[in-house]
Amino acid sequence: MADLTLTGVCKSFGKLEVIRNVDLQIEDGEFVVFVGPSGCGKSTLLRCISGLEDITGGTLTIGGERMNDVPAAKRGVAMVFQSYALYPHLRVRENMGFGLKVRKVAKPEIERRVDEAARTLKLDSLLDRFPRELSGGQRQRVAIGRAIVGNPEVFLFDEPLSNLDAELRVHMRAEISGLHKRLGNTMIYVTHDQIEAMTLADKIVVLRDGMVEQIGSPRDLYYRPVNTFVAQFIGSPKMNLFDASGLPANILDTARPAPRAARAGLRPEDIRVLPSADGPVTGRVVNNEYTGAGSLLHLDLEGLGQCLAIYSGGDAPDEGAHVSVEFDRSRLYWFDEQERNVAIG
Amino acid sequence: MTRFQSPFVRVCWYLSLAILAVPFVFPFLWMLSGAVKSQTEIFAPTLTLLPETWHWENYAEVFSYQPFARQYFNSLYIACVVTAGTLFISSLAGYALARIRFAGSGLLLLLLISALMMPEEVTIIPNFFLMKWLGLMNTHMPLILLPMFGSQGVMATFLMRQYFTALPPELEEAARMDGLSRFGIFWKVALPLSRPALAAVGIITFLFSWNLFLEPLVFLSDIELFTLPLALSNFTDAYGLPLWHLQMAATSLAVVPILVVYIAAQRQIVESFALSGVKG
Ligand SMILES: Nc1ncnc2c1ncn2[C@@H]1O[C@H](COP(=O)(O)OP(=O)(O)OP(=O)(O)O)[C@@H](O)[C@H]1O
Ligand SMILES: [Mg+2]
Repeated sequence: MADLTLTGVCKSFGKLEVIRNVDLQIEDGEFVVFVGPSGCGKSTLLRCISGLEDITGGTLTIGGERMNDVPAAKRGVAMVFQSYALYPHLRVRENMGFGLKVRKVAKPEIERRVDEAARTLKLDSLLDRFPRELSGGQRQRVAIGRAIVGNPEVFLFDEPLSNLDAELRVHMRAEISGLHKRLGNTMIYVTHDQIEAMTLADKIVVLRDGMVEQIGSPRDLYYRPVNTFVAQFIGSPKMNLFDASGLPANILDTARPAPRAARAGLRPEDIRVLPSADGPVTGRVVNNEYTGAGSLLHLDLEGLGQCLAIYSGGDAPDEGAHVSVEFDRSRLYWFDEQERNVAIG
Repeated sequence: MTRFQSPFVRVCWYLSLAILAVPFVFPFLWMLSGAVKSQTEIFAPTLTLLPETWHWENYAEVFSYQPFARQYFNSLYIACVVTAGTLFISSLAGYALARIRFAGSGLLLLLLISALMMPEEVTIIPNFFLMKWLGLMNTHMPLILLPMFGSQGVMATFLMRQYFTALPPELEEAARMDGLSRFGIFWKVALPLSRPALAAVGIITFLFSWNLFLEPLVFLSDIELFTLPLALSNFTDAYGLPLWHLQMAATSLAVVPILVVYIAAQRQIVESFALSGVKG
């Protein structure tokens, strides 16, 4: 069993508080993704779990055992680093078997486990190469292989795909997902790419300034964000926010749940752009980003300000064109003065 | 760029390089030639690179004039001990200064570096009294201890620290996750990755010890204990004038270990540069 609990976990570097009072429950076999803007403490939280950093407050348990003071190697976790951190002076085979050798596992057993991991990751033909002789994707796989051979209870990934090109990233994403299904281990994965988060996660943890903003399934976060930060962070392109006072009266009358709902959010895919400028909300196209299947329109709306809208179809209005928009009222999110979601309150 | 040079341009390059090399190579050749000439021919009015008569017996005389084999061995074993000891101490100390956070580490580093600015002529007198007090006069210990713990050792420590500081910390973190102890990380990860630095420190230290002149002059009085630089200056006639043919013969023998060390270390450096690169 490898469920994790973090209770009131804090981490500071000197006076700088980086992780503030994080409570988190991770079930056995769950795939959990930490997301958040750069510098919010994702890596630090992961390193606290791995044991590379000591936590300065709260408790961490893995499989029910308190781990605060257990050294990194004895926590039953394995980490895959962003830079892969393969030992340059060792061949792939030795890289993968290194941890086992340190733990004094018998030679034939090391051999067996390395071969098995190599087969799983299609690394068989690369075992006798040095890391410098591998491509980025292959190095990434070796780094994962090195984590697998130790049979850890928990895998930790710190932005493992960020050094790969877009195509390979999609491919490796699928491989990691497949690996999770096959091995069934608990995995914790850090990324700032919210697509990666949405596609991989059973559970997403959104962090901001070292604090947990929201924990939930991708669906949860997308449809029930607790505040504007999560609402804008999850989903791409990001959600538009309007001052409620600028919305047309008919929308306010019918859709606003309560008078305290001061801000309204609407995702770009829920705004319909009409070529004629005679609807209730009008505006001007500031920029038209053609994406192939459609266009991402940057609009300047009368009384509401800048917003993004997705226009599907090839005949999107050009820059400078005057348009009107229709809002999908059922998809409106409402937030109060404190940026909290009114519906969840 | 070099790939597209015409043969003519290339020949010109080699020619000019060869000409430029003359001032560097000539003294060496002159030494080799002087080693097999007679004292009179060295000073003959016509300069010749090849001797008229080859005096190979100069080499035999080098060994009979004074206990040269013994002195050669002295230099060799002292240089080896100093190099090994310096590599051992400087890598450990350099690693500690680079990676272990302890109170006053910054101050300690500053102190060490400031020790580098002290010329050895300044410290030789206090060192002389120190060694005398320790009862190490007319032994090899000063020649071993002073380079290891003096400015040469500090220099080596500083170089190693700089190199360790530049190693990617993630490699060591990976090793920590793999269960290595602090010393294990040093021994199995940091040290193998520092081969270029070790090789460089090795060469510098070996050369330093090999060429040491002032210390042997101050601390040694027994001819049996002399090291090569002192021995070389000892090939003199009854009036104290240098016997050039013997000096050159002896010197040509004295450069051999340097060449060997240099070639060995250089291969290390080239090999490990090929190994470096964490990603990309
Ligand atoms: N060893 C350290 N000493 C001092 N401050 C640190 C240390 N490590 C991280 N920090 C600080 O902690 C904060 C969080 O860093 P962290 O690396 O966890 O961010 P992150 O969420 O992983 O960001 P990114 O997405 O850019 O990787 C940053 O403000 C950083 O400056
Ligand atoms: Mg990070």
